Amino acid sequence: MTAASTLTARTSSVDDTQRLAAAVGLLARPGDLVVLAGDLGAGKTAFTQGFGRALDVNEPITSPTFTLAQQYEGRMVVHHLDVYRLEQLAEVAELGLSELLDDGGVVLIEWGDAILPVLPNDYLEVRLTFGKGDDDRELALRSVGAAWARRQVSLMHAIAPWSEVPSEPPPGDAPC
Amino acid sequence: MLILGITTSTMQVGCAIGGHEGVLAQVHSSRGRRHAETLTPSIDFLRTQARVDLSEIGCVAVDIGPGLFTGLRVGVASAKAMAHALRVPMIGVASLDLLAFPVRWSPRLVVAAIDARRGELFTASYRHVPGGIQRLSERRVSTPDDLAGELEATGEDVLLVGDGALRYQEAWADLGRVELADQGAAHPSAASLVQLAHARALREDFVQPWELEPLYLRRPDAEINWATRDGHVSELTGSSPPSAGGPGEVGS
Repeated sequence: MTAASTLTARTSSVDDTQRLAAAVGLLARPGDLVVLAGDLGAGKTAFTQGFGRALDVNEPITSPTFTLAQQYEGRMVVHHLDVYRLEQLAEVAELGLSELLDDGGVVLIEWGDAILPVLPNDYLEVRLTFGKGDDDRELALRSVGAAWARRQVSLMHAIAPWSEVPSEPPPGDAPC
Repeated sequence: MLILGITTSTMQVGCAIGGHEGVLAQVHSSRGRRHAETLTPSIDFLRTQARVDLSEIGCVAVDIGPGLFTGLRVGVASAKAMAHALRVPMIGVASLDLLAFPVRWSPRLVVAAIDARRGELFTASYRHVPGGIQRLSERRVSTPDDLAGELEATGEDVLLVGDGALRYQEAWADLGRVELADQGAAHPSAASLVQLAHARALREDFVQPWELEPLYLRRPDAEINWATRDGHVSELTGSSPPSAGGPGEVGS
């Protein structure tokens, strides 16, 4: 089941990650929740920047690690949260998560995989991991619950340009 | 003594100034989600219209919720900052009590319900007593369906008041003995806050700014499991990521 609902993609730069995120962002609907998982520097903020761009957010989106929650006006309100500095689930509640999820915008939460007990069972998990090269990233997009599962085909098409396994260079001499 | 009252626990931002002469001025706006942007200019307008210098304020009263976390954060922090700066004590009043207060003459059982979002309500019930209103139940979190069942079980005439009562009105539409208070009473009023706080100020029932806490009601009591952050780098493939066993798997 997990394999069927998880889509994978590869990007080769921050810009590339943002472009992929923008393609996903075009599918966003009011009330959406995106859980961003991955180590420091994996590209969680970059993903949010691209996602926000697709929603016509014009302000620069910056890491909310120290502000905890940022709000951007676009075609929909984009709530960008980072729970990295929190220790208690109660602190997450105090960020007003219920309200943010219920005000017609989209919510993206960095390190959101750590606070699943207080999240609704309806979200897109984007897990970013480091690839071979310094700027290479592997992304796993997993739809949990109905809201994103319904968009699975659109999602697959949206990320198709990044989904193919890069073809190996043909054996033999490279053109000089 | 003049009291500045601040209420931000719902969509509405309200502030009022009053004292033994009653409420001198009040400002309310409910254009949604702009508590931080709205509150300070509102207070400024309020004190100008009431011709009150802030140095005349002897107490800052604040709506401590339960309600919107985003709103409460703004209202409670602003109220504490002002009390600190003015070196005056504070009085905290619960949002649900503020909703019940203006309808205190109703012979019905008064049930206040604030929209807690995502299908939940903050609620408490009240009854008229000589000179005011008395809370009969704990303030708690409920759902529209559960509350509707409880209201029906009371077998009493009920007056439901609050933005939660309005948002989920289909839940009580079939309950013959439940009447809904209208939009005008849907949010805690800063005027009620000043009135209630004034009664408590006469009894010197104050708290200091550092003692005042919002009433959150919904606080999960657990630590965040930080296996990923604290160095256990998640593996690229194969084993389960930390989220795999979480509630996300249920019903997907």
